[in-house]
Amino acid sequence: MRVVANLAQCQGHARCEDLCPEVFSTDAIEGKVVIEQPEFPPELEEKVRLAVRNCPEGALRIAKGAVA
Amino acid sequence: MTVTYYPAAPTHVPEDLILDFDFFDMPADVSDPVQIWHGLIQKGAPPIFYTPRNGGHWVFLRYADIAEAYRNHEIFSTHKAQIPPLEPYPVLQPNGVDPPQHDVFRKLLAPMFTPLAVRRMTDGLQSRAERLISGFAGNGGCDFVHDYAAKFPTGTFLELFGLPEERLPEFLRISDTFFRSTDPDVRAANLLEIYEVLEELFREKERNPGTDIASTVVQSRDADGNPFPWTDIINCGFLLFVAGLDTVTNTMTYVWRYLATSADARQKFRDRLDDPSAFLLAIEELMRINAVSNIYRRVTHDCEFKGVQFRRNDRVVLPNTVANRDPRTFSDPQTIDLDRKVNNHVTFGLGPHRCIGSHLAKREIMISLQEWLRQIPEFELDPDQDAESVFGGPVMGFTSLKLRW
Ligand code: HEM
Ligand code: SF4
Repeated sequence: MRVVANLAQCQGHARCEDLCPEVFSTDAIEGKVVIEQPEFPPELEEKVRLAVRNCPEGALRIAKGAVA
Repeated sequence: MTVTYYPAAPTHVPEDLILDFDFFDMPADVSDPVQIWHGLIQKGAPPIFYTPRNGGHWVFLRYADIAEAYRNHEIFSTHKAQIPPLEPYPVLQPNGVDPPQHDVFRKLLAPMFTPLAVRRMTDGLQSRAERLISGFAGNGGCDFVHDYAAKFPTGTFLELFGLPEERLPEFLRISDTFFRSTDPDVRAANLLEIYEVLEELFREKERNPGTDIASTVVQSRDADGNPFPWTDIINCGFLLFVAGLDTVTNTMTYVWRYLATSADARQKFRDRLDDPSAFLLAIEELMRINAVSNIYRRVTHDCEFKGVQFRRNDRVVLPNTVANRDPRTFSDPQTIDLDRKVNNHVTFGLGPHRCIGSHLAKREIMISLQEWLRQIPEFELDPDQDAESVFGGPVMGFTSLKLRW
């Protein structure tokens, strides 16, 4: 599974980073999301899904399959 | 403050969308300022309604509409959005300008407020919390607003702006007058004083720059390598002063007021003292419930939005507390659930103007609460509290909160 971010929508709330720091962090310039591990292991799926649902800007999305 | 200015509603507003609602006014029986907003829902107010009070403005009551307004700067501008309308009013940087101009000061400030930058402030915040709390922990009680919630963010502001701690009393006095005075003459003099202080501060940082926020702002250059207009620099400093003090003070006051009445919540937070990420998650729920800001927008052109006619220069208020308890968005919205799983609250706004200080604010509150619970694990409301301590307006809160332990 992969998680992707729409950086135009991301406003740097960092809720994703708070909820799943294994996969998300934020950059030092604008504070927008950085996806550290786009293809995350199954044991993180629940946390990643929670982070996605808690993004107030709807900027995160789970994509099926590997890199397009 | 009761505003007597009460014009008739303009002709484009239909009769059935007009309510008499003054969000600066706190009726005597109100013990919590958010009550006046939630009372509107109980009364069955239309989701978008107009009040002729305070110069006349719209109010949005649904999460979805509030979120859309935050994101749609083409209709809902922050520029000259003051309520009641004020002219002239300084253009605060970056809040008072819309994208794309908004990007300039937003990007300039952003690196200083990222989660990474805020993590570096932790030690300073921690020692400030320890110092302040240990100063009264042995006293068996305090006025939380006066002794802590006002001092903590103001001291933090001084530190971030590279100003000496000795100026705390001066800044506390200036900010108290700025946020609480309703006397027009006092307010005018106060505003002049703030501008003088900022002028002197930025001039000094221009001569002797340090690594603080004021120095960074004053030394910044635009895309062509030129300094920014002096008024923009001053108004950026002014915004940080306006945005980062009273909001934190009143959010803290709300949080401590709730904890003083809930042994269960105190216990839950104490249980999480060694688990910062669980602690932060619980703080997030208190941010949802205790949304102190009511945000202003100005309509840029005649248009229809959600089936309602708006006219250019109409003012709109976005009450975050109402959005945060909209049952269409939150399950069991009136319940404080410190383990809430999905929590897309708008306490810090949404879209391009999303609070740049949100990570700092949360960190200030979190560190304060952790330190408080270590030194004062149990506390309660002091029955001596006078009832007259609530206020409304763009930031709601309490002028006093007496606690004892
Ligand atoms: C709990 C405390 C706080 C709350 C509830 C809060 C709330 C908000 C909200 C709702 C906005 C959006 C305004 C809009 O859309 O027009 C905002 C913007 C802003 N806040 Fe905060 N804030 C808090 C603390 C802080 C702190 C500590 C700082 C900085 C030191 C700060 C600086 C700012 C700035 C500069 C903006 C304007 C951002 C822009 O327009 O791009 N805030 N805040
Ligand atoms: S929660 Fe959403 S808006 Fe916030 S940093 Fe993560 S992706 Fe960006």
